[in-house]
Amino acid sequence: MSKLIMFHARECPHCKAMMPHVDRLEKEENVKFERLEVWHDEKNADLMRSYRPVIAPKCGGQLRTPTFFCPETSDVLCGEVAYDKLREWALKQG
Amino acid sequence: MKKYWRCFVCGDIHFGVKAPEVCPTCLVKNAYVEISSDEAERTTRPTRTTMTRTEFPAAIAKFAEKNEFQVNPDAARVGMLLDGMFANEQNHGFKYCPCRLRTKDFNEDLKLICPCNFIIHETYKGKEDGECWCGLFIRRKK
Repeated sequence: MSKLIMFHARECPHCKAMMPHVDRLEKEENVKFERLEVWHDEKNADLMRSYRPVIAPKCGGQLRTPTFFCPETSDVLCGEVAYDKLREWALKQG
Repeated sequence: MKKYWRCFVCGDIHFGVKAPEVCPTCLVKNAYVEISSDEAERTTRPTRTTMTRTEFPAAIAKFAEKNEFQVNPDAARVGMLLDGMFANEQNHGFKYCPCRLRTKDFNEDLKLICPCNFIIHETYKGKEDGECWCGLFIRRKK
């Protein structure tokens, strides 16, 4: 299974809304997200910034939270989405 | 490139690519002269005011009242966002949007300070139920 990252922010309501989806997905499928908080952890923030050329064009030109990212495929899913969309994205990464 | 401008009549400072044609405070035309960032910093420092977390909601409500949008009535959501903005101001210098990460490019990151220019964003523009990136502002119901 490819490594999956969830870039999120502690005070981001979209991230809060997505957390139960991520919990459910990890429980129901063989996937695991590395959850990296970016506003209170500069190391995580720098990591997200390092992927800016890949992430930003797919997220309205910006580094939005939450952003789901697969470093191996460089595939990106950003923002608050339905569970099925997140599931489809995660399983597609292989 | 953005520069600092000072109204030679009332002393208002403007930061922008161009000086305002009319000073919004004293209404004098062609009153702005370009100044250095050092002068802008020195002249604004004595009158610098801080805005507390309890004062900020009134400021954004006033900002929204004459616009086509309003502050989100979801108090819990607004509270969470204010927590984030004030944490960002304390940790990173400005009330950056809690739902986007700063790039560390100063001019680029000015676009993330709340309230941002969300009316051009895909989450708001042309949408009946449009909202800013984080959902602090929503389109006013007709």
